[in-house]
Amino acid sequence: MDFFTTLQAVVNGVLTGALYALVGMGMALIFGVMRIVNFAHGTFMMLGMYATYVLFVQAHVVPYYSFPLVALGMYGLGYLIYMALLRPIHGQSDFMQILLTLGIGLAITDAIQLVFGADYHQINFPLLEKNLHLGSHITVNAPWVVSFGIALVTGGGLYFFVMHTMSGRAARAIAQNRYAAPLMGIHLHRVQAFWFGLGVSAAAVAGSLLLPVFYLYPGVGDQFTLKAFVIVVLGGMESIVGAAMAGVLLGVVESLTSLYWGNEWALAVDFAIFLLVLSLRPSGIFGRQKA
Amino acid sequence: MKRVAARLLMLALPAAVILASCKGGGGQSNTFKIGVVSSFTGPQAAFGQAHKNGYTLALADLNAKGGVLGKPIELVYYDDQGRPDQAVQGVAKLVDQDHVPVILGAYTSENTRAMIPAVTQREVPLLIPTSVADNLMQTGSPWVFRVCQGSGNYAHAILDFLKHNGDPKTIAIIYENTNFGQSNDTAMREAAQQAGLTVVDEEAYQASSPDYKALLARVKAKNPDAIYFGSYLLDASTLMRQSAEVGLDPRYYTAAGTGFSAAEFPTKDKGAGAYAEYTISVSQWLPTAKWKGSKEFDEAFLKLTGTHPAYHAMEAYVTLAIAVAAIEKAGGANPVAIRDALRALWLPETPFGPIRFDEHGQNDHATLVTQIQDGQYKVVWPPDAAEAKPIVPTPPWNKRQK
Repeated sequence: MDFFTTLQAVVNGVLTGALYALVGMGMALIFGVMRIVNFAHGTFMMLGMYATYVLFVQAHVVPYYSFPLVALGMYGLGYLIYMALLRPIHGQSDFMQILLTLGIGLAITDAIQLVFGADYHQINFPLLEKNLHLGSHITVNAPWVVSFGIALVTGGGLYFFVMHTMSGRAARAIAQNRYAAPLMGIHLHRVQAFWFGLGVSAAAVAGSLLLPVFYLYPGVGDQFTLKAFVIVVLGGMESIVGAAMAGVLLGVVESLTSLYWGNEWALAVDFAIFLLVLSLRPSGIFGRQKA
Repeated sequence: MKRVAARLLMLALPAAVILASCKGGGGQSNTFKIGVVSSFTGPQAAFGQAHKNGYTLALADLNAKGGVLGKPIELVYYDDQGRPDQAVQGVAKLVDQDHVPVILGAYTSENTRAMIPAVTQREVPLLIPTSVADNLMQTGSPWVFRVCQGSGNYAHAILDFLKHNGDPKTIAIIYENTNFGQSNDTAMREAAQQAGLTVVDEEAYQASSPDYKALLARVKAKNPDAIYFGSYLLDASTLMRQSAEVGLDPRYYTAAGTGFSAAEFPTKDKGAGAYAEYTISVSQWLPTAKWKGSKEFDEAFLKLTGTHPAYHAMEAYVTLAIAVAAIEKAGGANPVAIRDALRALWLPETPFGPIRFDEHGQNDHATLVTQIQDGQYKVVWPPDAAEAKPIVPTPPWNKRQK
């Protein structure tokens, strides 16, 4: 493969990876603060896609304008789900959390299927037809560039929130020691509900941004739950910066694997890396090594 | 862990008892039950819906004529969600619980292949409406009957078309990495080599990915004259959109039917829209087919759904009609008798053409080559069935009108 073909594949990989990063960051947030592996993560992404779809079809708002509204709505839903369902099992075994989040995912998927049917949908607007040429060799599809920009801003915003705000500090305190944090005056459930909502809405924004270049049906999120899981492990479980970098890395690795070995290997390589990291460096490529 | 298991058991037992008591009285029912497995939910739901529409219309027609053996026909649907393990579950449920004497299905070749051992073991005939993989008919099972054509026929039809329309020398095959795709890849590789074409690339892909641009760049680097796709609908749309983005310009875009022959494919709302234009594919049936009943089916389908049918719905329609004809001939719900009736069946006049199964259970059927022109499927080959001239070679993306 010549240089420009490879460069093109890297560019495409970064663009896809930015969306993976957003999904992964949401999952890392939830895991970091709550120690919950959110098996419903892809489902929330799918829900974000349906919300975006409804806004597009009913109100003719393109996803690049409607995503803040979707994010807000999904934040609210995440908050409620935490308060109603996750709070009662607080402190119980991990097994309960896995079953519960899996169950939430199944229930939402079935509810969506009941309302919208099993049929798939896609959306069309003029920007999708636009290809941008960078130099004479690199071509990028405009919606991917826009979604990359939005993902960057959203991801950066999340990072800022975690590092530089009061509730971010509270979340980090809980992540450090969830028994000591409440003793320091942190309202455990309120903070956790807030961050669960935020994690869910990050997944939903990724869904909003993916919708224009993909399609949706009730089960569309499942593959992204798995991807998010891989990303979070690569990124060091609780580090959102790690998750962001791991997401982009995964996008690039998939794209280059596709180019050099063939698309059928992309998923295999994903999971090979996943297994290698788990066995050789369980704290993740980007995570801090703990004793 | 033990306690959890015990609790689950305590919950499951009463549930099983309740379910079992609800069913009851299967043998004495007033309807004649026929089992159907298809993908009504999941990524193949568009095709599952096409199946369901076809079955619904057939059911209405057949019951209007008095059903079968004096009883109204009842279809027992099982949704395999596009997953092979669920398709096998479907066989178990339909035969063991509902006691159906014949099963129609599934949609994908992957799922149908998984069902064959299950029906063979239970000794119930399986009628395959749509799955094209060649290995479905190579299991040696005497319980399998296929109404549609196989992937070998698809490859030969496309190659015959290419030979008489510009005679390309190289071909690349892009296929979904499942039984359906692999079978079309093998069929095309073998047939192309026999026909003297060089297969310059074979690319398997993982279904439902958002990004195939790297794959298409690989194909572009090999510069094939023709491309042959083995794809379902959602990927077909993604592949064509991204082919334009990558600037992949073979002289022929061809495909093994399926996604590239779905009614939704040329539409903007549910398919590739303008990106589907000029693609060449195969079809087993079109609303314009000359067989008696085709037009009526098209009209009834349009009334039911608001759109014209593709061949998948017709295949479901005719498959139910075939099953009922065989049951009528067998004179009862005995699976062995139905199988023997299927084997001897000869239906000279159906909307899908004449039906007769050979010793392997394969129905002999003609394959048409179509091209999308102005958003419509047009038969372009063989010449005696053609309704339009093929537009070849395919105009490059940057010369197309937006």
